[in-house]
Amino acid sequence: MSDYQLALQQLTDSALPTGAFSHSLGFETYIERGLVHDEASFGVWLSAFVGQQLSYSDGLAIRFLYEGVPVAGLDSLLTAQLLPRQLREASIKMGTRLLEIGLEVFPSPELAAYRELVTTGRAAGHQPLAFAVVARSLGVPLTEALAAYLFAAVTSLTQNAVRAIPLGQNAGQRLLRKAADDVAAAVGRIARLAPDDFGAVSPGLEISQMRHEHQRARMFMS
Amino acid sequence: MSTTAALGTAAAPAVKSPMGELELRIEHRGARSVAAHQYHRGALRVLRPHYLDESGQVCYVVVNPGGAYLGADLYVIDVEVGDGAALVLTTQSATKIYRTPGSFAEQRMTLRLGERAQLELAPDQLIAYREASYRQNTRVTVRPSSSLVMAEVVTPGWSPDGASFRYEELRLRTEIHVEAAGGTELLALDNLLIRPPLNDVTGMGFMEGRSHLGSLVVVDERVNQALADELHGLTISHDAYTGVSLSASIGGTTGLVLRSLSDSTEELNRLLGACTALLRERWHGQAPLNLRKY
Repeated sequence: MSDYQLALQQLTDSALPTGAFSHSLGFETYIERGLVHDEASFGVWLSAFVGQQLSYSDGLAIRFLYEGVPVAGLDSLLTAQLLPRQLREASIKMGTRLLEIGLEVFPSPELAAYRELVTTGRAAGHQPLAFAVVARSLGVPLTEALAAYLFAAVTSLTQNAVRAIPLGQNAGQRLLRKAADDVAAAVGRIARLAPDDFGAVSPGLEISQMRHEHQRARMFMS
Repeated sequence: MSTTAALGTAAAPAVKSPMGELELRIEHRGARSVAAHQYHRGALRVLRPHYLDESGQVCYVVVNPGGAYLGADLYVIDVEVGDGAALVLTTQSATKIYRTPGSFAEQRMTLRLGERAQLELAPDQLIAYREASYRQNTRVTVRPSSSLVMAEVVTPGWSPDGASFRYEELRLRTEIHVEAAGGTELLALDNLLIRPPLNDVTGMGFMEGRSHLGSLVVVDERVNQALADELHGLTISHDAYTGVSLSASIGGTTGLVLRSLSDSTEELNRLLGACTALLRERWHGQAPLNLRKY
């Protein structure tokens, strides 16, 4: 067993209290429009979300951090690139929680330095960066860290969809099994992206995240 | 911080000599904005300036006499709007990208706004034809007191068999920096990447079954949530799927991004025009922009 295996499991467990259960990251807008209403239609959204947003923003940010790009610059890039306000706030809210938890259970000088940037107002504290700093300090290789991060995000979103649509528990498990293929493909793709690819957005995903601000009845904060 | 600095990579070397170059520096003199410096070379030039109203805001129309961008073409545009000056920059016709086999056409635009400077960027729509690849890199630097409005429409292109989305790749990447007391910081990074051969771009998450994409980016110290809500309200009566949101704030100024999907250039122009009309009236006491009246 590798030294980091259980730590990585704890870090990516959906019970980790970062508040992921309160974010749809835009899919609730599709539910409201009737476009996401069952297992198959949520699967289409999830696949687009993994292949686009999670790859070009979160995933690429994690890779750059592993390649030695300073966390402060990546933090300001994410703040500038996450243009839908609720999406940006979600990343910062969950990132701030992950920083707190990380400092208690997996402390490292790098994580303390990132938290220091956040508490002094020089960084916002984004979820993928907080995760990457911890995972890197634990010695988790990049490929494993990316796969674990993406699959954790997919798991939270699927659990949220199971509650919100609603779907059966077995449907949720079938979705996760399929999403694993998308995650594996995304990990391969992220390795080949160029700096200019960072933050590339799909208009539909982004507009839906923006429109969530004006949705009347909503279960989720994003 | 610029993306290139943050990512530790050098800016792309300008190995190719530009097909067209344009430099324009606008200054406020007396009651009007005028060009203090103007230079063009190759396949880019500007028409003589217009004044569309009594505000003193000058309007320049960019012309590409070649009519289109081709493979490996590079166009470089450098515009500075000085303290207190006001400029509308538009195009004479749609930007057309033809086949660019094994290569891509590229436009690099640098925009710099001074204190209280006003810039409205209102180009005609972008059309990428079959087998076209295009990269548009725009770098904007504003002061906290500057007022920036950028509108843009991207069409699905066209091919001889009538099918749309037959181009290879469109990259429209815009960085907006704010030059404030504490240094220059990145306010917004808007990076649009559409690659029809790789994904079904028409469906959920991408174009949502619509064909045309419109964007409006506004940076001004008067941007706030109430304005975002008001613009959102304006869009409801249009046949388009639209979202509006605010960036973070830097040095007292804030960005607003509006993104809209529809089925025609005209509908998007009406929607974007309604939004910019509200801003022109409220902030500058100006009538709606009417570029076709002269």
